[in-house]
Amino acid sequence: MTDLNFNIDKPDLPDDQINKHKDFKKLIYKYQLATKPLYKTPLHKFKHIRVFLIILLALLVMFIIIEVMEKEEEGAVKPAVPEQTIKE
Amino acid sequence: MNIHHKNDTDLDLEMQQVEAAKLNSAQFDVLYEKYYRSIFVFIYRRTGNEDLSADITSQVFLKALLNIKKYEFKGVPFSAWLFRVAFNEINMYFRKNNAHRVVSLEQKNISQIVMEVQEEDNTLGQQRMMTALKKLDGDDIQLIELRFFEKRSFAEIGVIIGITENNAKVKVYRILDKLKKVLKTKF
Repeated sequence: MTDLNFNIDKPDLPDDQINKHKDFKKLIYKYQLATKPLYKTPLHKFKHIRVFLIILLALLVMFIIIEVMEKEEEGAVKPAVPEQTIKE
Repeated sequence: MNIHHKNDTDLDLEMQQVEAAKLNSAQFDVLYEKYYRSIFVFIYRRTGNEDLSADITSQVFLKALLNIKKYEFKGVPFSAWLFRVAFNEINMYFRKNNAHRVVSLEQKNISQIVMEVQEEDNTLGQQRMMTALKKLDGDDIQLIELRFFEKRSFAEIGVIIGITENNAKVKVYRILDKLKKVLKTKF
């Protein structure tokens, strides 16, 4: 046996009361939000702040990695300065 | 023919509306206007809460719009597909929240089901039937709701629950047998 509450002869809500919840524009807005490609969604509009923070963190890590790699490359490319011998 | 049955002209017109909505989401407003009330009532009868029903209804229409391209006509109206989405959303809500499900019915529905199981339709018979209905599990009561309280065809019940028409018929008659057995035992 499950937990069921039986309502006998309880009238349905009047149409006016049901219709006040009807909002097609809101539905279309939610639809557009759900179907918009991720790259077109502004970061601040992300529904879940955790997702936003993870993306922000990932971008930060990528930036740091690129910076470090560039510095290493610069170090490797720079030719060693030859020692000058001074003739007396 | 009951309120959930449609003639061929209605079905053709509805298919045109569905095809239009597949091409342009703004065209979905015709179907939204047409079915908002019935979906809301379907949910309200199972939750008994207005705000919750509004939330679930909005989720149902969003899911329907997101998946409308997958909809194919299989001999039953678009509304049956929509009710299936609603049915799944309601079940998902109850699974997640462990809330009490509501069963809404009219006194005359009880009389009908009493006669269906060949019991005497009097006050005592109706009281015994109510007690028997309360002994059914959630899945069984959903089938009884769809068939006897909402007067849906077996084909439509099949689409809503995700089983074949024959399977729906078999299940409903098994539940009636179960009710008969419960009624034969002393409460």
